[in-house]
Amino acid sequence: MDRTYFGQHSSSQFNEALESIRNHLMEMGGLVEKQVVDALDALLRADSDLAEKVMQAEDKVDKLEIQIDEECARVLALRQPAASDLRLIIAVTKAVSDLERIGDESAKIAAMALQLSEEGESPRGYVEVRHIGNHVRNMLRDTLDAFARFDADKALDVAAEDNEVDLEYRSAMRSLVTFMMEDPRAISRVLNIIWSLRALERIGDHSRNIAEQVIFLVKGKDVRHISMDEMEEKVKG
Amino acid sequence: MDTAEKLDKNASGRNHAEEPLIDLEEQPMQETRYPEHTVGTPFVDAPKMRFRDVNVSYGDTQAIHNISLDIGKNEVISLIGPSGCGKSTFLRCLNRMNDTIDICRVSGELFLEDQDLYDSKMDVVELRARVGMVFQKPNPFPKSIYDNVAYGPRLHGLANKKFELDEIVETSLRKAGLWEEVKDRLHAPGTGLSGGQQQRLCIARTIAVSPEVVLMDEPCSALDPIATAKIEELIDELTESYTIAIVTHSMQQAARVSNRTAYFHLGRLIEVNDTETVFTKPEHELTEAYITGRFG
Amino acid sequence: MSKTTEKVRKTLARRYRAERRFKAFGIVSIVIGLSALLLLFGDIIGKGHSAFFEHYVELSITYDPETLEIEDANDPEQLRYGNFEGVVRAAIQERFPRVEERQDRRALNALLSTSAGYELRDRLEADPSLLGQKETLWLQLDDDADMFLKGSEKQRENARLSPQQREWVLDLEAAGETRSEFNRSLFTSGDSREPEQAGILGAILGSVFTMLVTLALSFPIGIAAAIYLEEFAPKNRFTDFIEVNINNLAAVPSIIFGLLGLAIFLSWFGMPRSVPLVGGIVLTLMTLPTVIISSRAAIKAVPPSIREAAMGLGASKMQVVLHHVLPLAMPGMLTGAIIGMAQALGETAPLLMIGMVAFIVELPTGPLSAATVLPVQIFLWAGSPEQSFVALTSAAIMVLLAFLIAMNTLAVVLRKRLERRW
Repeated sequence: MDRTYFGQHSSSQFNEALESIRNHLMEMGGLVEKQVVDALDALLRADSDLAEKVMQAEDKVDKLEIQIDEECARVLALRQPAASDLRLIIAVTKAVSDLERIGDESAKIAAMALQLSEEGESPRGYVEVRHIGNHVRNMLRDTLDAFARFDADKALDVAAEDNEVDLEYRSAMRSLVTFMMEDPRAISRVLNIIWSLRALERIGDHSRNIAEQVIFLVKGKDVRHISMDEMEEKVKG
Repeated sequence: MDTAEKLDKNASGRNHAEEPLIDLEEQPMQETRYPEHTVGTPFVDAPKMRFRDVNVSYGDTQAIHNISLDIGKNEVISLIGPSGCGKSTFLRCLNRMNDTIDICRVSGELFLEDQDLYDSKMDVVELRARVGMVFQKPNPFPKSIYDNVAYGPRLHGLANKKFELDEIVETSLRKAGLWEEVKDRLHAPGTGLSGGQQQRLCIARTIAVSPEVVLMDEPCSALDPIATAKIEELIDELTESYTIAIVTHSMQQAARVSNRTAYFHLGRLIEVNDTETVFTKPEHELTEAYITGRFG
Repeated sequence: MSKTTEKVRKTLARRYRAERRFKAFGIVSIVIGLSALLLLFGDIIGKGHSAFFEHYVELSITYDPETLEIEDANDPEQLRYGNFEGVVRAAIQERFPRVEERQDRRALNALLSTSAGYELRDRLEADPSLLGQKETLWLQLDDDADMFLKGSEKQRENARLSPQQREWVLDLEAAGETRSEFNRSLFTSGDSREPEQAGILGAILGSVFTMLVTLALSFPIGIAAAIYLEEFAPKNRFTDFIEVNINNLAAVPSIIFGLLGLAIFLSWFGMPRSVPLVGGIVLTLMTLPTVIISSRAAIKAVPPSIREAAMGLGASKMQVVLHHVLPLAMPGMLTGAIIGMAQALGETAPLLMIGMVAFIVELPTGPLSAATVLPVQIFLWAGSPEQSFVALTSAAIMVLLAFLIAMNTLAVVLRKRLERRW
């Protein structure tokens, strides 16, 4: 079912409240997306200023998270939403905490960028970071897109992409661990890269979580903790 | 005015040419169609009451169109829908309270277990002893609390001796959660109780004849939230022994008390599903629109 | 101050004036109505209060067997034909020994009521040993002398007494040999040609018997009709027709019912004239529409929720009506019936047609003995020539009004007492 409107409630205040929650979520999504992009840039270009900025942006994201949660609580208390409205509120509260975690992970990457800029660049791993980073960035963008447009199919694509990210993450880990065994002197610097990769992988997982919420929101079906095939079946079926 | 009404008006041909009644921009719901059949799960195994293709009309106006529905044993089914959707009319068919209205015509199959409700062999008095009813407005008789509860058993000769009657009165009042409040003043008038107590008295009066099914027609609409909560709790307890069909305007109430929910719209049964499903993921868009509050 | 407030203020004075005018009209109407009522009551009480008392004269009586022509006071035959009037005459002549002319003596005798002789007979009958004895007694004065004594200076001038008679009466009054007593005969005897002996007990009994018949017929019939029409009758043309006609019947002039009674009950069924039974039947016809309409209103006022509750418990139609509707509607029905009765109590016209206008001295003993009723008695007395009947008429009206007020009060009290709240 396409559900592209918040309107048509008998109560216009209800419409406005839902619209406002969605707008704030999109704003938060935009901020977090920029955080991720900036953190990656800071890491890849060893830009400590940019890394500082990313960490400072954290504040704003946290405030938005609290604000959206308050708005959702208010709607729950005052409007007793049901059906799609209820699903929207549930999905938003969950997506918000995922977004906040993504913000945290970005901050972690930024911290690694700072460290790397102090300790010197890692001898290996930037290719993997760039590659997985691009993937994760796309996932986050797509999932936010899917949320904005209530697009379950796109959300399904995001979930599928997460599997690829996981695969790539594992192979990157293997190669970096091998490298560390070969060159123990670089362990501390490579570890920074590994932590960053780990953070990126977490961002991918969180994006997938949000995508699952989008599917719950649109289709009313819970697709958490099931295989990709089952998920596909539920969404298409 | 909602779209469906407008469509109806249009179909009836009035103001057909000059006045387009549907403003497309303002009415994004104009795609709405009634489902051919009720969506969801209207039928259950081994139903207590079974209805197939029920039509009800008042004179020339058809109030209910082709409703097919099962009511399972010991379940609470809530009937929801906008005003005038026929839910009360349907409820009143279940114990033939519509009989009192001369122009009311009922057709279709209506069964209580294997007995046809509208069969000539079916005694309406017996039916109403088996299918009791609680009304919107608390309506205790202007008699004592005791006499209110004892009325039904006396009517049907359920108790021959005084102590038997006393026992029935006490158990009924206990089941209705009213015993502790009124045991010292059983002979005070029932009309002197508070609204919520009166409604529980009415429920006690109804269950005093040990019906199999209890119909409730908006039993809490005249009560305050505390009294409502008590009645809802009571409904929950009653499911152990009775099958309950409840009409309510409060969707939260339907969500709280019922196992299944049936959504009526302009005389049609749109959707029947588990209450949880109806309130989180209704199948039909009309249901969705109603329970999310998108009707004017 | 905003513009709206200004505008509103301008109209305020006008609106308040209109309100005061409206109030004043209402008060004036009430004052007019109340003063008319007070005038009526004042007039009736002013005219009628004197009828509740009458004057007696003290005379020394000798039960002389010769004058009485009675030898044995135990013989009822002799008592019946005894010349008690002679004894009374002798007594008054003894009081005024100087009156000797035959004409004057007759005038003197006329001062005493004819009932004086009957009183003596009753006393002698009760105590035969009085024969030949002497006794001082208070005897009733004739209505003309009574009126003279009751009247003011101006009324005394117009009294129907000769100058001689006036002198005698004044003499008796001055000597303290007259006194005013409560008029017991007003409530203990039937009609009479002599105002001082006329009473309304006969009429009251007639009214009571008539009302009993009316109540016994109209209440059950009216309620049964109302219940059927309200609860059981199908809604179709025929019942609509009946409904309209019941309402029409309530508007039919009452004399028409009298004519109906005359034509059907007297001529066709050959029922006796002047009896409360026929009167009651005729008044039943007249009050039935009132009873039916008020009973239907009372039944309609029973909340449908009560009916639904009983029906929902499996009560049959009949049980719903008997257990719930009837008890709840009863106060209203009773009120309606009592008001209908009050109407019937005050009705004259239909009873004139069936002969309840006869002059009947005997007290009625049941619904089948000839009788008259209070309003007809008033009608009869109002047409009588004797001056004293004016006061009696007003007195009877007061009694009738007292009955009506009592009945209406009863209706109000019943309604208040039996009314249930739900």
